[in-house]
Amino acid sequence: MQLTKKPLRIREMVVIVFMVIGLKGGDTTPALFADHAQNAIWLVPVVSFLCLLPPFLILMYLLKKHEKYNLVELIFHLLGKKLGTVLSLLLFIGGFVSMSVDMRNVMEELNYLYFPESPTIMIYAIFLGICIIIANKGLETIGSLTWALIPIIILTILAVMTVDLRDAVWQRIFPILGDGPKTILVDGISKSSAFLEIFLLTIAYQAFHQTKDFRIGIYTGGILSCILIVTFYAIYAMVFDYNTINNIAFLYQESTEIVSLGHFFTNISTFFMIGWLFSTFLRFIIFLYILCWIFGAIFEIKRFEGLILPVGIVSMILSLIPPSFSINELVIRETSLQIITPLFLIFPFLLWGTDRWKNRGKT
Amino acid sequence: MRRLILILLFLQIALILTGCFDRKELEEQAYVISIGVDKTERDNIFRFTFEIANPEVGSSVSNVSTKEPAQEVVSVLGTDFLSATSTANTSVAKEITLDQVRVVIFSEKLARSKEFIHVIQSAPSTVDLKLNAQMVISKEKAEDFIRHNKPRLESRPHKYFQYMLDRARETGVIPDAPLVRFFQITEGDADLFIAPFASTAREPTDKYGAEDNYKAGEIDINGGNPTQFIGSAVFKEGQMIDTLTGEETRYTLMLDTTLPQQDILATYKDPLRPDFEISAKVQIDKAKVSIDYKKRGRSVIDVHVNAHLNVFAIPSTEDYMLDPRKRRILYASIEKQMYNKTTEMVKKSQEKYKAEPFYWSLHIRKEFLTIKDYEKADWSNKIFPNADVHLHIDVKSIEFGKTLRQSNIGKVRD
Repeated sequence: MQLTKKPLRIREMVVIVFMVIGLKGGDTTPALFADHAQNAIWLVPVVSFLCLLPPFLILMYLLKKHEKYNLVELIFHLLGKKLGTVLSLLLFIGGFVSMSVDMRNVMEELNYLYFPESPTIMIYAIFLGICIIIANKGLETIGSLTWALIPIIILTILAVMTVDLRDAVWQRIFPILGDGPKTILVDGISKSSAFLEIFLLTIAYQAFHQTKDFRIGIYTGGILSCILIVTFYAIYAMVFDYNTINNIAFLYQESTEIVSLGHFFTNISTFFMIGWLFSTFLRFIIFLYILCWIFGAIFEIKRFEGLILPVGIVSMILSLIPPSFSINELVIRETSLQIITPLFLIFPFLLWGTDRWKNRGKT
Repeated sequence: MRRLILILLFLQIALILTGCFDRKELEEQAYVISIGVDKTERDNIFRFTFEIANPEVGSSVSNVSTKEPAQEVVSVLGTDFLSATSTANTSVAKEITLDQVRVVIFSEKLARSKEFIHVIQSAPSTVDLKLNAQMVISKEKAEDFIRHNKPRLESRPHKYFQYMLDRARETGVIPDAPLVRFFQITEGDADLFIAPFASTAREPTDKYGAEDNYKAGEIDINGGNPTQFIGSAVFKEGQMIDTLTGEETRYTLMLDTTLPQQDILATYKDPLRPDFEISAKVQIDKAKVSIDYKKRGRSVIDVHVNAHLNVFAIPSTEDYMLDPRKRRILYASIEKQMYNKTTEMVKKSQEKYKAEPFYWSLHIRKEFLTIKDYEKADWSNKIFPNADVHLHIDVKSIEFGKTLRQSNIGKVRD
């Protein structure tokens, strides 16, 4: 897509990153981490972020060095047409699988907790329909929409935190290493691609007013998301205990269900659904848009908005294959993340290596 | 032409908007306020009793049609909460909803059996049933408990349970026991869980056991609703093993750092005239527990409890207010009384239960790095039963309410 005016600035970037990465504090990702790490659930994302940091910094360094490229163009520039296509396609597939699996999880969550009578496919269709319509409007709309909705979402997050903290017992964070340092490291590294979106977002490197806006935005957003995720996971560990936490699938909703505010507000969990729903919509709108953008960039499709509908539908069909939620989360998501992770951890180094190789004569 | 297309498009929106599969009419819902669960003769089949509230009774909006009773009680057989709900719907016209359940009552017989853990396991996976509902153990069958429970002043059953549990909790004679706490403690497998104990069958004992040295059903009350909430049921590894009196419950709560402390009402022996009692409102600060863990040998547990008293009745008319010597005696005596009772409770848990209901396992956790080490050290079997528990109870202040001195009865009698 040719953006001529490039109206997006830092604040939109911050909220986009926050929406895509940070709100993994509220979906089913914690249940995935808690499965092995138990009450050290909050240390796992710390390990993941530390592990993702070097490749990410290298990617950012390369993008800064080659000012006028975005992610796919950079790969093409450095690796050439053929290898570049292969690598970019692999990245796309990684993102695509992760989106499909995530989407199924969110759908099940929505279906199971809020609309138990409705058929999954119906909720799915409506959800996807809205995502596709909004994603079609382009990055500018998405950016401003995200910025406009952020107050509601922040309000929800703060409210959930205060409510949850009433029931939290801080001693439950001990024994501090949970299942042991090995589990934390292995889990943190092998599942670090749960946050792979941060790499894919670099496709939008050229879409901002200045590239500096993008850099500041992605760093600020990343740090904020990291803080949010770690705090939320720590709160989950403090609200539930270590043996209970790995039995619960929807920690965010469940944690709001067990607290009551006095006599009158006994069932308050539904209040927190609104912000959660908004954030989920935005998250998948952004994710879908970014993926189509990457796909469009690989095959040089200028008007890639046309891809949103087919990509969305294919993703929905694929994600409906797993027979149940728990298999989807604990088997498929876990395995797919373990397969995808090495790719995302290595490819920036590969790019960096070729960059050095190409420049060896010049210096 | 264009307008026609637009209108047709808008008509399609109507299709989307009406497609609410989960539409629920308020009229069609039967809100269950309390669920009772009983053991039957057959294994793993239970009798579920649903108390359904009638929202029309007692609300200020309704005016004419309040001839209907305030509640309906239905009881059916079932294996878990959800299947029992659908069975019950064969006799109740409205759709039974568990969203508003405030209390889940289990009979003592069921709680003491091995099947209890199976029936309660189905609670977290029941979507409607909120895990912040209170767990109550009834001395008799839960069905009888619900049927006999006839609050006179609170015609709306949901309010009745709420108020009743709150009042009892205020005096500290029953613990706060949401279902989620049961799972946390049982799955943590290190501590004992205590749940409120209640009864509608009166078997008053003759003894006058201060105001709280009773279990449910033992208090000699004339008139009113037969229901009594006092004392607690003790659970070890998901099975009920014993009951505590109201007083024991209060001292247990005093030592637990996770339960919110409220002002409790209690009586103490008058140190100078032992046949009299002093009643006071006691405010207890959060206990401080520190554990000195020794790998070999006995660990040492130090517990600091600070209390603030507000005395409002001294029937013996001893002058504790102005006489500093007598006041010192009072301080020392109350500390001693509290210390003795608490020590008794700790001893009981160390020797009789071999595990503690104070949730102290939380405080030893920081000694360990991993769950494996922590579980291997075995708090409930090895550390706690052999530990030296040092209690430090400190009465920080005693206030004497709104009178400046007690009236001199000797002079009045003249």
